[in-house]
Amino acid sequence: MAMRDYTADKESFKNFFLEFCQIDDEGGKFFKYSEQLSKVAHREQVAFVVELDDLYEANEELAEAVIKNTRRYTNMVSDVVYEMLPDFKHKEVVTKDVLDVYIEHRIMLEARNHRIPGEMRDPRNRYPPELIRRFEVYFKDMSTSKSVPIRDVKADHIGKLVTVRGIVTRCTDVKPLLVVATYSCSACGAETYQPVRSLQFTPPPACTADECRINKTAGQLHLQTRGSRFQKFQELKIQEHSDQVPVGHIPRQLSVYCRGEVTRRAQPGDHVAVTGVFLPLLNSGFKQIMQGLLSDTYLEAHSVTCLNQSDESEMTEALTEEELAELADEDLYSRMARSLAPEIYGHEDVKKALLLLLVGGVDKRPNGMKIRGNINICLMGDPGVAKSQLLNYIDRLAPRSQYTTGRGSSGVGLTAAVLKDPFTGEMMLEGGALVLADQGVCCIDEFDKMAENDRTAIHEVMEQQTISIAKAGIMTCLNARVSILAAANPAYGRYNPKRTIEQNIQLPAALLSRFDLLWLIRDKPNREKDLELAKHIAYVHQHSTQPPGTTRALRMRLVRRYLALTRRKQPVVPRALADYIVSSYVELRREARNARDVTFTSARNLLAILRLSTALARLRLSDVVEKEDVSEAIRLVEMSKQSLQHVDENVQRGISATDRIFAIVRDLAGSGQTVKIADVIERCVDKGFKPDQVDACIEEYENLNVWQVNQVRTKITFM
Amino acid sequence: MSDFSLDFDSVSPEIWMQNEQDWKDKLLKLPNWCKIPLINSNASHNLPDGSLVRFRGMVQDMHNPEFYFEQFEVFNTKTNEIKSKTGKYTDTANILENEKINYTENLKSAQRQTMVVVSLPGFNEWAQKIENDQNHLKHLEQQPNTSKRLNSDSTKLKRSYDESQEDPEAMEIESETLNKERKKAELLNETSNVVSREHLLNFPLPDIASKTCIIKIYEDDENLKLNDMIEVVGFLSVDPALSGEFNSEKNSLLEPVSETEAEIITHNPPPSLVPRLHAVYVKKLDHCNPLIKDSFNQEAVLHDANTARDHLFKALSELLLGDKLAAEYLICHLIACVYLRQDTITLGQFCLNISNLPTQKYPNYGKQLYDIIKQFVTKSYYLPLTVENMNTVALLPKKDYDCNRLTSGILQLSKHTHLVLDETKMEQGRLDATGVNNITALGNLIKQQKVEYDFKYYKMEFDSDISVLVLSEGKSLLPSDYHIPLRPEESSLEIFNAIVEAATYYLKEEIMNTIRSYLTNLKLVKYSISEDIQFVEDDFIEMRNNSDEENPVTADDLHRLLVLARLVSLSRGNDTLNKECWDITKSMEKERLLRLKNRIAPTL
Repeated sequence: MAMRDYTADKESFKNFFLEFCQIDDEGGKFFKYSEQLSKVAHREQVAFVVELDDLYEANEELAEAVIKNTRRYTNMVSDVVYEMLPDFKHKEVVTKDVLDVYIEHRIMLEARNHRIPGEMRDPRNRYPPELIRRFEVYFKDMSTSKSVPIRDVKADHIGKLVTVRGIVTRCTDVKPLLVVATYSCSACGAETYQPVRSLQFTPPPACTADECRINKTAGQLHLQTRGSRFQKFQELKIQEHSDQVPVGHIPRQLSVYCRGEVTRRAQPGDHVAVTGVFLPLLNSGFKQIMQGLLSDTYLEAHSVTCLNQSDESEMTEALTEEELAELADEDLYSRMARSLAPEIYGHEDVKKALLLLLVGGVDKRPNGMKIRGNINICLMGDPGVAKSQLLNYIDRLAPRSQYTTGRGSSGVGLTAAVLKDPFTGEMMLEGGALVLADQGVCCIDEFDKMAENDRTAIHEVMEQQTISIAKAGIMTCLNARVSILAAANPAYGRYNPKRTIEQNIQLPAALLSRFDLLWLIRDKPNREKDLELAKHIAYVHQHSTQPPGTTRALRMRLVRRYLALTRRKQPVVPRALADYIVSSYVELRREARNARDVTFTSARNLLAILRLSTALARLRLSDVVEKEDVSEAIRLVEMSKQSLQHVDENVQRGISATDRIFAIVRDLAGSGQTVKIADVIERCVDKGFKPDQVDACIEEYENLNVWQVNQVRTKITFM
Repeated sequence: MSDFSLDFDSVSPEIWMQNEQDWKDKLLKLPNWCKIPLINSNASHNLPDGSLVRFRGMVQDMHNPEFYFEQFEVFNTKTNEIKSKTGKYTDTANILENEKINYTENLKSAQRQTMVVVSLPGFNEWAQKIENDQNHLKHLEQQPNTSKRLNSDSTKLKRSYDESQEDPEAMEIESETLNKERKKAELLNETSNVVSREHLLNFPLPDIASKTCIIKIYEDDENLKLNDMIEVVGFLSVDPALSGEFNSEKNSLLEPVSETEAEIITHNPPPSLVPRLHAVYVKKLDHCNPLIKDSFNQEAVLHDANTARDHLFKALSELLLGDKLAAEYLICHLIACVYLRQDTITLGQFCLNISNLPTQKYPNYGKQLYDIIKQFVTKSYYLPLTVENMNTVALLPKKDYDCNRLTSGILQLSKHTHLVLDETKMEQGRLDATGVNNITALGNLIKQQKVEYDFKYYKMEFDSDISVLVLSEGKSLLPSDYHIPLRPEESSLEIFNAIVEAATYYLKEEIMNTIRSYLTNLKLVKYSISEDIQFVEDDFIEMRNNSDEENPVTADDLHRLLVLARLVSLSRGNDTLNKECWDITKSMEKERLLRLKNRIAPTL
């Protein structure tokens, strides 16, 4: 590799700092680095941060060179800045501390000693640059560069700028680290400087000043603490995130050395992203003697940033190509739904509903009113139909979630408790499960077993999404923007379809109506389904893999990241759809009046439909709700009702889907002779049929000459 | 061929390095490795530093990779000579007094992986004995050991580990009752930096003699996982100077503490206790039964299966007080292992819960039963589920950030280990937080065959393959895949002690060995289910139709049936599922469920 022309690089840095500017919002030019330089010159800022993004914009090649050989360029930039500083000094800085006085003296001395030009000076007595510089140079990694897993930081990264992520497992106290040691000679009084670059140093044995050397006095050197330069120093140990560790391996760790301004940025347990230079470190002392063949490595930090939560760090990373490809093929909606608890066979609609719960609808606040976007779902069903398993899976999948059981948590355990601090005697609020799950999912198993007065606490949460506390003199309102996923067992062991839900679940209607969807999961023997299930299981045992027909479940991590992505979207319902939604709702109400309804259809259902459809739009990463979203939402609501209404199966069995669709069409036609196909499809979809079933029905009856369909296939005319 | 083994006797890292590939080929061609000393059977203090040795064990921990100097220069201050040396396969530079390492130029760094390997946890006495017989090398003991070991003394510190003077064999059997954690804390508080043996050895199971090695692996192998059983061939490094206890005084003022003292000591234990091994070859083991030779012949195994099974069945049904059904289940349990793990499905686990043990009459029945079982299987561990045990014992491995290592727990076991939980020892009492966690951990292990390791900031699940047998009076408080109440025969109940005696007499070494091979071999057999399994599907549909409110039949039941059917077929020497075995399976399950339904009051 050809040697780089470092003098040229130096020059380009100088120009870059002078010329780089950004256009700010008002259109004015903002000289970022000049600004920084004058701040540094006036001692208002210590760190001088060079953003590689900017540098890349100005000089692509140089930016790449910096990444490859960061240490060298750090020193270079430090030199450049030092040279440029006097030009940016517009006003006198009030002398601040001892070190400044020292520096001033030294510069004056230097000037005096330099009167004879061309004089050769003992390099040891020259001031090391570190002694008189009071700024620190840091590089900020490019925003496009990916963080490297700690495991992959290897020998070929030595000397380069890398960004890693991890959890801080240990951090030392911040201690002063000697950067330049200053000695004074007892014989001649001359000062000797020794820059310290590693963690240890050996003091020079004797004075090397001219005077001592000529007189051969070999004066003793004394360390001058006040004249020496110290720097804050802290060591961090970071450890890989659990998702970066290959299966069956132990997470690896990395030492990070922080100096000066980057110290005190993180504490044990924090998730951090560290940008730094990967460097080897020679052992000394015991290790050098005994294990002289090993060298430690560390990361010299240039920046340490705390990431609040693991999910946020995951969110910031865009999906990779292959992940996108994995998501792109096939119907994403049902595929993702199937990926929820893949070990549970079937129950696709329930899983779809749970997926929408994870995505969540959009919150709305029209003039101070607050309409929640979170979706609440209650699963009911006979014992042993994997309700708890579903809950458990959602709990594990959701980035923020709390899992409790109704019996195991009192009202206080769910909402918030007021505690008295034993030492100070102050009253404190401690959040319960619902508060802790804010912005997430709260899974409550055995919902029905909850004591009466505990349930009341949930009422407020489920609609207003807040918790009001008035206890022990503390009156406050806590946010609890949670989706509630509840599971309940029927009151007498089995669900009795002849009774109403309230009787079955023994929950008040006020609470039940707050659930957007209520699902009754039943496990009835069914020859076809059982055969399918048996075949499926047998296949797994035969071939030790999943049957090829079934789609492979998406990995949990991918689902999680995709969900994070969807949550950024805020889709709106276009005006054009309003009529459709309204008419569907009216239809729902009408039916509820007519049929012997075990559920209640109220305005809350309308909201539920809206929430579900916005969630569906989000899932498509779209900004607008489309008609399909609404009809799917209505279908889900309808299906959930059907699961409850539980039309007698014996009657159902005889009637095929086609027959039922025919009945709907006849209904629609009423006394008239013609029906629009669009209306038919709409109505049928609402009832839970698929469009292709409708098409099949239309065709079948057309062949039977019961009706005719016009040329463009928009109208059905009865014969 | 015979001179090969002689070569391996005298090979040193330098010779090996000159022709690495050749040596490796030679090693792989060696018909058996018995002549290469196995540290498990031969004390490491009898072996010279830098000689080729073997070690068998389980990967217990993985440290951070080390950067070592693959190539470096040594400068002799007296002769002004410059020599090029390598740091591969060695820990110390082996330099003379007036030589200096040139740290500034011509250095070539490379990376090597460090792992802590412990001898197989729960390895049973009989297997150890056979292994010792096969591998013990007499001639090593006669060697005067110290002279050859330390051939290059330059700056060696001659202080020795305070216990290393004692006979290591004797120390091995020391029983430790103290909690590991507590001991470590105590000892670290002392001013001297001596830590306990258990802390350094870090063995998963308490009370059991073990050996630990630190293995350095040069080839980047991602395949090695935690808890894998491996056999390592490598160069021994036992230079006492490697011990972290000889750390010179540090100038703490100027040097920031990058590693705590506890960490240094833990990572550099005295080599007399924990030898280092520089691996030249690492082999993953499928089993650890010394009776089974390398070549695996499925047909022969299946052919001999029935004879072995008869012996085993006879012995077990007697021991289970004449209960033939329980004996069948126990056989299935002994040959079960996880054979499929995909996404969230784990198939093959077979946690058996035998309840209704005659504890009133024979309070130690569980232990007696275990004593026989451990004669059959290669690796097993008996854990009495007492309240005290649950509250104090560390079941889950935990990352210790002070020492920067994974502190082992009882559930850190290699695959195919049998864990026997004796719940009959449980009495009423209070479980504290640890106890509840431990019970949950056992539950997770049984249900999912996963163990959650505690990394303080997060938890990580590791797959496990541990067969759990729960012995209890009533239904166990732990979940189980198959629960069977014992139905002892009156006549057998009276004479149980005599039965045990008779069984010991009946199970002669020869029969025992047949059974032992049988149990291990069956775990290796490839089993398949033919495409045509109409009878399974039909039966399932029928079962679903007959299911009633109290006993719903779900997908899990079919899984369970198929797993059992697999084991029933295998135990009878069939490598495919046929109708006959399926019917046996069904009737077994039927009888078992019937027993569960009309459970009788515990027999006295």
